[in-house]
Amino acid sequence: MLILNLILKEIIHRKMNFLLSLLAVLTAVAFFICVFTAAKASERETARLMLSMGYNLHIIPNDTDMNQFLLSGLTNATMPEEYLEKLASPKGFSYNHLLATLQRKTLWRGFEVILTGLAPEVCPPGQKKPPMVHPIEPGTAYVGYIMADKLGLKKGDTIEIGGKSLKIAKCLFEQGGVDDIRIQCHLKDAQDILNLPGQISQIQAVDCLCFAPTNDPLSILRNEIASILPEARAFQMRPIAMARAGQRQMVRNLFAVITPFVVIVCGAWIGVLAMTNVRDRQQEIGIMRALGYGSEKVSAMFLGKAAIIGLIGAVLGFVIGTALALSFGPNIFKITAKTMIKPELTLFIWSVIAAPLFAAVSSFIPTMLAATCDPAVTLREE
Amino acid sequence: MISLENVVKTYQTRKGDVNALSNISLRINKAEFVVICGPSGSGKTTLLMTVAGMLRPTSGVVSIEQNNLYAMSIRARAKFRAQNIGFVFQMFHLVPYLNAAENIVLAGVAVTSKNRKARTHDLIKKFGLVGRSYHRPYELSAGEKQRTAIARALLNRPKIILADEPTGNLDPDNATSVLGYLSDFHRSGGTVILATHGPTAERFADRIIYLRNGIADNSG
Repeated sequence: MLILNLILKEIIHRKMNFLLSLLAVLTAVAFFICVFTAAKASERETARLMLSMGYNLHIIPNDTDMNQFLLSGLTNATMPEEYLEKLASPKGFSYNHLLATLQRKTLWRGFEVILTGLAPEVCPPGQKKPPMVHPIEPGTAYVGYIMADKLGLKKGDTIEIGGKSLKIAKCLFEQGGVDDIRIQCHLKDAQDILNLPGQISQIQAVDCLCFAPTNDPLSILRNEIASILPEARAFQMRPIAMARAGQRQMVRNLFAVITPFVVIVCGAWIGVLAMTNVRDRQQEIGIMRALGYGSEKVSAMFLGKAAIIGLIGAVLGFVIGTALALSFGPNIFKITAKTMIKPELTLFIWSVIAAPLFAAVSSFIPTMLAATCDPAVTLREE
Repeated sequence: MISLENVVKTYQTRKGDVNALSNISLRINKAEFVVICGPSGSGKTTLLMTVAGMLRPTSGVVSIEQNNLYAMSIRARAKFRAQNIGFVFQMFHLVPYLNAAENIVLAGVAVTSKNRKARTHDLIKKFGLVGRSYHRPYELSAGEKQRTAIARALLNRPKIILADEPTGNLDPDNATSVLGYLSDFHRSGGTVILATHGPTAERFADRIIYLRNGIADNSG
């Protein structure tokens, strides 16, 4: 009689045992998929949330008056716009999200405003990420809350500044900061208004050294930037950078502890179940051995069943775990879930390899113990 | 010929060692019907299991036709058992998820697939299981279960049948019927060793060996 035939007959005979075993494997795999997906999603979500703290790296012209810059956040010095391309061209450097701006304090319709021209954000090669700020179309402007409120401006209005007409694309919500008196436009428009063609006043960026094994990330950044732009100086918004790095490290470390723990618990869960199943069938092992079956055939019967349960449980567990992650993920990870949580082939492959393996390995020990001892001993344990 | 030389089997328990077989030496000839009698706990089952190659003795030699059973590898001993020995248990030991016919076929590791089918069919007819061959053990009576177990033991045309209290769970009619089948096997040239604590089987025996506290009295 074929071993597969025996396995199937046993499964049909002990349906409830099979279903409970399957349920346990399925639950273990689904649980693992959910935790693993949550871990990944949580890291991504944290990274995105931390980006909303803003750019933490500023690159300004060497001749900037630092006192003035630190007091006002503005510099009157400028540098060529091409510096942006220079910074964005090398591969493997420790910064990303490069944003070139030209900013000046100016008087407009009786109010002091900050005119800010923004170039579209660029990323170095191989580090393409969604932009942190949406690009502003040429000929349009975003108006800060206080300005819009005091002057009664609204979306669609046209304003004139420095002899240039700009259509208001957005009136910003109250920010509680300098952005409330800012008028933002495309870099080219700002250069025209301020008569500074091809010039920028700073480049903002985000460092990528959250997980770097160093206590002095600024030295790394300064060395990298100095090698490309000796005419500029870089400094880091240290509290933002440290908060961002600390939060991201905390989330990664948390799941670095939780994930192996979950893998071990789920593996042990499947293993204990498989062992119990074999222990419950000691008599059969004794009968088979008494009838002259070798230990390899007896083992094949038990390991085969464990592998079948593991395989079906892994497939169903993956489907259910992924479905749960897709259903509940967007409620928890509001920024990244919709685009980033999706069925992952790698996880599926790992599940269908690991679950049958855990089940078979766990069955192997009691099966071999029973299959290699004298049949009379196994039968007596009935 | 079956030969036991100075066979000792000691079980180690929490309360100390228990000697199930104490220095047993005996010879059983080919085509002999031997009944081993003795009260419960006298070592009958241990003796049968040891002869069947299913329980390694603590010391001593068990040989069947010059083959030292426990000098063989586990795999070789299993093969030897399948080819030469049929075993009938008191508790039947049928596989619960296989029907009667499948339980009989299950023993067919030593016969070819083609012969196995025909042989199973013959045995089902011989043991009056034609209408019951597709029934699972829980749907069979005790007598039918034991007939299935005997058919299974005979599938590979063994030279020896070892029967451990084969009538212990049967009513008198079924017990007589089972002993009749074993007697038929004996008459056809097979060797039977039957362990029992009752007198029912004694009339079929060529020789009776009494076992008490693991010591054989071969005088019968």
